[in-house]
Amino acid sequence: MVPPEYYLLLSAAVFCIGLFGILTRRNALLFLMSVELMLNAANINLVAFSFVWGNVTGQTFGLFTMALAAAEVAVGIGIILVLYRNFDGVDVTDATTMRW
Amino acid sequence: MVGILDFTPAIVLLPFVSFLVALSVGDRLPKGGALAGIAATGGSLALSIGTVLAVAGGETYTATIYTWAEGLDAVDLTFGVLIDPLSAMMLLIVTLVAFLVHVFSLGYMNDEDETGLARYYAGLGLFTASMLGFVVADNLLMAFMFFELVGLCSYLLIGFHFREPGPPSAAKKAFLVTRFGDYFFLVGVVAVFATFGTASFVGSESFPALAEAALRGEASVATFGFAPGTWFTIVGLLILGGVIGKSAQYPLHTWLPDAMEGPTPVSALIHAATMVAAGVYLVARMYGFYAISPTALAIIAFVGGFTALFAATMGLVKREIKQVLAYSTISQYGYMMLALGGGGYVAATFHLMTHAFFKALLFLGAGSVIIAMHHNEDMWDMGGLRSKMPVTYYTFLSGSLALAGIFPFAGFWSKDEVLYETLLHGLDGDPILLAAYAMGLLAVFFTGLYTFRMVFLTFHGEPRSGTAKDPHGVRWNVKFPLAVLGVLAAVAGFVNMVPVADVTGLEIDFLHKWLEHGFEGLTVEHYGTLLHDFPAYGAAGVELSPLLPGAVSLGLALAGAVVAHRLYNVPEPVEHTDRLGGIKTVLYNNYYQDEYQVWIANGLTRPAARVANKFDGGVVDGVVNGVSGVSLFTGDRVRRIQTGVVSNYAVLLTLGLTALILAFGLAGGWFA
Repeated sequence: MVPPEYYLLLSAAVFCIGLFGILTRRNALLFLMSVELMLNAANINLVAFSFVWGNVTGQTFGLFTMALAAAEVAVGIGIILVLYRNFDGVDVTDATTMRW
Repeated sequence: MVGILDFTPAIVLLPFVSFLVALSVGDRLPKGGALAGIAATGGSLALSIGTVLAVAGGETYTATIYTWAEGLDAVDLTFGVLIDPLSAMMLLIVTLVAFLVHVFSLGYMNDEDETGLARYYAGLGLFTASMLGFVVADNLLMAFMFFELVGLCSYLLIGFHFREPGPPSAAKKAFLVTRFGDYFFLVGVVAVFATFGTASFVGSESFPALAEAALRGEASVATFGFAPGTWFTIVGLLILGGVIGKSAQYPLHTWLPDAMEGPTPVSALIHAATMVAAGVYLVARMYGFYAISPTALAIIAFVGGFTALFAATMGLVKREIKQVLAYSTISQYGYMMLALGGGGYVAATFHLMTHAFFKALLFLGAGSVIIAMHHNEDMWDMGGLRSKMPVTYYTFLSGSLALAGIFPFAGFWSKDEVLYETLLHGLDGDPILLAAYAMGLLAVFFTGLYTFRMVFLTFHGEPRSGTAKDPHGVRWNVKFPLAVLGVLAAVAGFVNMVPVADVTGLEIDFLHKWLEHGFEGLTVEHYGTLLHDFPAYGAAGVELSPLLPGAVSLGLALAGAVVAHRLYNVPEPVEHTDRLGGIKTVLYNNYYQDEYQVWIANGLTRPAARVANKFDGGVVDGVVNGVSGVSLFTGDRVRRIQTGVVSNYAVLLTLGLTALILAFGLAGGWFA
């Protein structure tokens, strides 16, 4: 059996990649992908702990999160579409009208 | 069984109904609502007579009508009625005078084609109802509320002719000056509630009874760090503020002469039975509370004696008949206060009663003269009216003899008893009472002088103007009230002929007997015990026959009348007061009381208000504006972190999360 530390390392790595993407990218599509990475990092944790404790609740929860992620992507794509229409591009730093 | 006393609230409600009727449909009624008012006050008068008869039979009555604020573990605020000999007597006086004033108004207002009659009769109805509510009040708060209503009605009625410049100003002055006193009264009411937890007048749980028990050491009340006696004196003096304002005692008397701007029947009502009487009645109502405080009694007596003399001197020089009467009212209420302060509870109620009759009579008589003179009030334009209006003359003369205190008219008996009681208790070794007595005695002379100066100038001699030669006639509705009151002014004194009772041994001091029964703690005997125990009135056991002081005051009154006769009962009187020179100017200007009060307002209150305004505008507003300024400034800076760039938010989120984890880590000891 693979010890849980490896799962956690993998999950942390995926999460950090996602975080790095959010902090550095300006393209909204890459933004969305980075968010998905972070979400999946959390999913890995859920499944891993579920496996370690021998309890399937965590894995079920993982399935729910995937469904949620699908819905989230739909919303995200919709936002990006509107962003494209209003600002002629998908650069997140262009859309700064909601500020002080 | 339902007795007559169960209908007591109706005495109050009937004039109130007439107020509502006159207010709503008075314009469409014949006589502008006068008949509703006459019917209502007539009904109240009948009920009051029934009440007096029931009380004479030994009955008393007290009931809580309505609890309008129920206290949880605190005081209940209620409306209730209290019928004992004192309030029954006052009910009779008020309803009788109000009834006669309504009848008189037919002649004074309707026959003179005044406009706004519905408003006038609505005011009269509410005025009467307020005073009656005040008279039957069984607790101090209810009394205060009706006290204020009385003040409001006086404002409405004094300012009846609101299109002329004088009346609205006089109405405002009357309202403001009496309100000034009422502020103290209100504080006093709150103090009574805070001290005793009740404001009831009657029963063993009433505040006078509790105060007495506290002073005797049988009970304890919250006295806020003062000795009980001191604190009760303070509370008593606070309530006295309202009394001084309403009863026009020095220094809050200035509103009353100005109040002559109102219609004359209103003046009669204000001065005889309602507003001005309210103050003295309040002291009599809660006399058990004042009787335990020697200081308060001394102040009441001194203010009363001083006011009696002070006002009498001003009455000497006035030109208008109503002005003379106004100052005589102030002076006579001074006598009542003198009696209350001097321990003469019965004397004060007696004088209150006789004064109500003869002063209502004099004002209505003056009203009759004013009708005849086509609303000219200057006595120097009158003269010789005796032969032209005999009913008015003889009734007015009866009232004047009573006012001056000439034997055997009503005022003689009551004023004599006032002075006798004060002298008796002053001789116990109380110099303040003796000083007050001396002022009261001196005022008797001036009373005789100004009263008969008024009579001679108005009715005797030769007519001094065209209108006086050919006066306007008056009808039955003027003569009837005058006749009733004229008889009363002559005979009302016979209910309490103490000197005669003393000499002959006959039991004819009926008013003493009348006030001896009633609720325990509200009787003359009880007040006598209190006066003996606390201010030690009568403790020295001075024996004094009432004959000599009576003879002295009668002699002084006659002297005043004789001087007036010599000076003014001539065909062509001249203004002898001119010979007083500068003194006359001072008197004619009322000792510059108005001027100094205006100066206090302008010279002291206004700068103080300006300083307060500066403080408010500078310091208070400065702090408030400073706080908001700092918030605005920091908000303006802090909001700039909301850049609109999503990446920045993500950075902040990440940094926040990192900081949080670090903080938890440090607190949880990971790095230790």
